[in-house]
Amino acid sequence: MLEPLLGSVSSERVLMFLFARKEGYAREIARFFATDLDPIQKQLDKLELGGVLVSRTAGRTRLYTFSPRYPFLRELQSLLERGLSFYPPELRESLVMVRRRPRRRGKPL
Amino acid sequence: MSQAELAAFVQSHLRARGITAILSGGACVSVHSEGRYTSADIDLVNAYSVNRGAIRSAMQEIGFTEQARHFVHPDTPYVIEFPPGPLSVGTEPVRQIQELDFSTGTLELLSPTDCVKDRLAAYYHWDDKQCLAQAVLVARAKDADIKEIARWSRAEGMMDKFRLIRAQLSRPGG
Repeated sequence: MLEPLLGSVSSERVLMFLFARKEGYAREIARFFATDLDPIQKQLDKLELGGVLVSRTAGRTRLYTFSPRYPFLRELQSLLERGLSFYPPELRESLVMVRRRPRRRGKPL
Repeated sequence: MSQAELAAFVQSHLRARGITAILSGGACVSVHSEGRYTSADIDLVNAYSVNRGAIRSAMQEIGFTEQARHFVHPDTPYVIEFPPGPLSVGTEPVRQIQELDFSTGTLELLSPTDCVKDRLAAYYHWDDKQCLAQAVLVARAKDADIKEIARWSRAEGMMDKFRLIRAQLSRPGG
């Protein structure tokens, strides 16, 4: 959808995933889009190096989010929001409708 | 060579090759706080997003080698990094660059007021208390423009947080 603007399918996937989910890690994004890990990791690295994303570690996982200090963040997120509205409803829903509230350890489903 | 002298030397070399790299981050705090804060790295913001290869070549000419995302030199403990541009404080572009002359060249850096904003951005977004302490150091050492910082904080949507720390930015009794 936004690939011509964002440069590659992987770049769009990374940015759209993080826009919808607020944070994520390489394997999670690759798994969601059923794609190889390598191009996703490369895009995460590139976007972090460019100041668009920041990362932190949680255990052994490197979690990425948008950098709140990226000067074009508002405009980028507007573009992603608009792009997301054109996604197929099932894909949009599976990106957005994810349980975010805490789940107590040991709680039955 | 002091940190500021080294930064001025590197900047001058890069400038001669058409690369604009402005001192920001902890080293900028160090200069404005007159050494009351020390930083081991030198952040030179790649203001106009010059190709990394051009920076690498220019740095190699003065004996630096690239290690991961930073540059090192055997004769200095300081590590040089080139954070990506554009040069901004929060979501606003930096309008005015301060210049300081050293025997090694002219140092271009954020003004004290922009340096305070830069540190406060990290405090506002990540609650980084170290950056708040650095902002306070610079604001007090250099009488930063508190009115301008208030305007910027409002534009960043951080007025509530600014109100909490406003008193700390002024010199006691100042």
